[in-house]
Amino acid sequence: MNDDLYIRESSEVYDAIVVGSGISGGWAAKELCERGFKTLMIERGRVVEHRKDYIGEGVPEWKQPHRGVVNNLVTEQQKIQKECYAFNDSTKHFFGNDRDLPYQTAPGTTFSWIRGNQLGGKSLTWHRQSYRLSDHDFSANKLDGFGTDWPIRYQDLAPWYSHVEKHAGISGESAGLPQLPDGEFLPPFEMTVPEIAIKASIEENYPDRKLIMGRMAHLTEPTELHISQGRVNCQTRNECQKGCSFGAYFSTQSSTLPAAAKTGNLHIAANSVVHSLIYDEKTRRVKGVRVIDNDDLSEREYLGKIVFMCASTIGSAQVMLNSKSKAFPNGIANSSGVLGHYLMDHNYNARIEGEIPGFEDEYYQGRRPGGLLIPNFQYEPSRYNKNYVRGYSFSGDASRENWKSTGERDGIGADFKAQLSQAGKWKFWMMAQGEMLPRFENQMGLHATLKDKWGMPQLEFDCRWSDNEKLMMEDAAEVGHQMFLKAGLENVTSEFTERPVGIAIHELGTARMGRDPKTSVLNGYNQCHDIDNLFVTDGASFSSSATQNPSLTFMALTARAVDYAAKEIKAGRI
Amino acid sequence: MSDQPIGDQPSPRDNSKRGFLFGLSRLVGAAAAVQLLGGNAISTALAYSPNPHSSEHAGKLFSQAEMLLLRDICTQVIPKTATAGAAEVDTHGFIDNQLYSCYQREDQQKVSSVLLKIEQVAMQRYHQPFSSTTTTEQYALLTDLEKPANGFDDSDRSHFKFLKSQIVFGYYTSEVGASQELEYSAVPGGFKGSIPYDSVGKAWGSLGI
Repeated sequence: MNDDLYIRESSEVYDAIVVGSGISGGWAAKELCERGFKTLMIERGRVVEHRKDYIGEGVPEWKQPHRGVVNNLVTEQQKIQKECYAFNDSTKHFFGNDRDLPYQTAPGTTFSWIRGNQLGGKSLTWHRQSYRLSDHDFSANKLDGFGTDWPIRYQDLAPWYSHVEKHAGISGESAGLPQLPDGEFLPPFEMTVPEIAIKASIEENYPDRKLIMGRMAHLTEPTELHISQGRVNCQTRNECQKGCSFGAYFSTQSSTLPAAAKTGNLHIAANSVVHSLIYDEKTRRVKGVRVIDNDDLSEREYLGKIVFMCASTIGSAQVMLNSKSKAFPNGIANSSGVLGHYLMDHNYNARIEGEIPGFEDEYYQGRRPGGLLIPNFQYEPSRYNKNYVRGYSFSGDASRENWKSTGERDGIGADFKAQLSQAGKWKFWMMAQGEMLPRFENQMGLHATLKDKWGMPQLEFDCRWSDNEKLMMEDAAEVGHQMFLKAGLENVTSEFTERPVGIAIHELGTARMGRDPKTSVLNGYNQCHDIDNLFVTDGASFSSSATQNPSLTFMALTARAVDYAAKEIKAGRI
Repeated sequence: MSDQPIGDQPSPRDNSKRGFLFGLSRLVGAAAAVQLLGGNAISTALAYSPNPHSSEHAGKLFSQAEMLLLRDICTQVIPKTATAGAAEVDTHGFIDNQLYSCYQREDQQKVSSVLLKIEQVAMQRYHQPFSSTTTTEQYALLTDLEKPANGFDDSDRSHFKFLKSQIVFGYYTSEVGASQELEYSAVPGGFKGSIPYDSVGKAWGSLGI
């Protein structure tokens, strides 16, 4: 570890600059530092130190100011952030302040932009679900014609999935499924007995569907490597988004940052809002970044030989759109004109619930930090539903009712209290996670006049669900409903909702990869077609959304891109 | 309890921060763990502390008379049994503070209006304030309110449902409710998918995020 990890002013020309410190930025920094690159990681928000700054952790409800409920002032300041399921009084400091972070939406549209502007970014608050994409996902655009062909295939990424899984620590079960490749797994979490029964029913009734334990970035059994990093096994508190001093889930702080810092090659510039990239017209390369200080709004620059954009799908595209030059009047590396377009999210707009009769003698101990998955079973065109293209997965779990639902029943007095003290019926719920098609019309751009307090043009989103997504979710609600009934569940209800784009916090696609520089921003190594020393390795690079939670793929793409960049530099081509 | 602590290891069902400290101690040493936890915790000075006298004076939202009424409703909804009830842990004081800090006027007025209605029906039916009526009369009146019947309408029921949800929330997130009436496990230490229900015998009071 170097003794000046955090820097503010510097005239040094770093070997590499990484913009962002979340899942992608952490991986970029680790891989660059371990290859000997003197690396500057730039973060727009404040420093969050592992353990020390997890201020909401380990505080029981009765010692919290309002038992976990946020007060009126917070509600006023974080109106959009509070839409996130993980937002509460113990996690609110890991979400942005909407008052300071305004954005616009086109008339008739909504977009929920959830922010994590601190060191570690949203790696602190993510849901830790970790899945590989398959060749079916990488080929989908080419096969059905929606979106541009990914310039990579599964074999290109497979070794990099293994590389990141071993370091991050992913628990899960191998299932041998063509649409969801197996990986380097720690043991899976256990299923409950009713879940095992439902699994048997679904797999018997529907030969094309499997119900598997979710794959999650939790140390069920840490390896020597994890223990050497100061990480121990998951305590199953399921309070992850408060931060975990056990280091039991993957975050920048628990995993990649210590690895990067250990090399002595890492420096961090926090509180540095990147305004734009500095482009050198002569060399046709980026040479650094312009930064506005998060606190005092002063300006400074950082210089580097190579730049990795890992500022999130929306953040990276915003900075790039705001980097205008003679050569790139519409945003850096945007000769194609697709920068900011093809914005995608996942579609969680179908939910099914039901009661599981019986199993009164069964209970569980601990709070499993994630649930089950039915992987996408419409993963190739021959399996598509007749009304729409692509598919969805289901995720959910079984648990016994507690006072949060039984407390809504009628009744008062000792009998009512006695009922609430006991675990109630077993309930099972699932939510569909649908693929969103890449569409040019779904976009984010810079507002012509409005700016935020750092002088950055505000973003304007114009993004909506198409009929394909709506038909898919209507179908998912019905399919799930039937599946629940066949499994013997009772009082089954299903609903199709229209929650806004963005709230899945799986934004993707604003600087997509592609084979043709005329219709894509990045090549198959996340390198800009237009600029050799500029890489974008976060979700912006996705050519399609697939159905899988994307973070594991951010990790693998980033590690692979660093490896490629290092080899290109060595060969003198960058 | 079927699983007693073994050696120095706290039971996985500890109801304090002991388990958290123990786990953390293995990582960073005991002294550092204590220091971290002390430095970490959100200031508990701001947490609502139960006050045995909160029905004796006006609250932040409610008058003294309303606080007394609220206390007696808490007693009826979640009474003292083998464990303390909602009134004993000052759920009425908690609700006054919670509605003031975390809810808008519209929700606050649901409670004010149902308190007023309860008092009106008590006067009509029993010719005295709710708090002066017998336990049996109070139980009958609140049961009618929830139906709704005998002088209460759907709107009263809906306002009462909101108040009741606050009583339930306040009680089961109190230390007594979460860790005595229910089983609280701060640091479970791992997940077991199947245990006999009787080995716990009640619902978990620790619910995670």
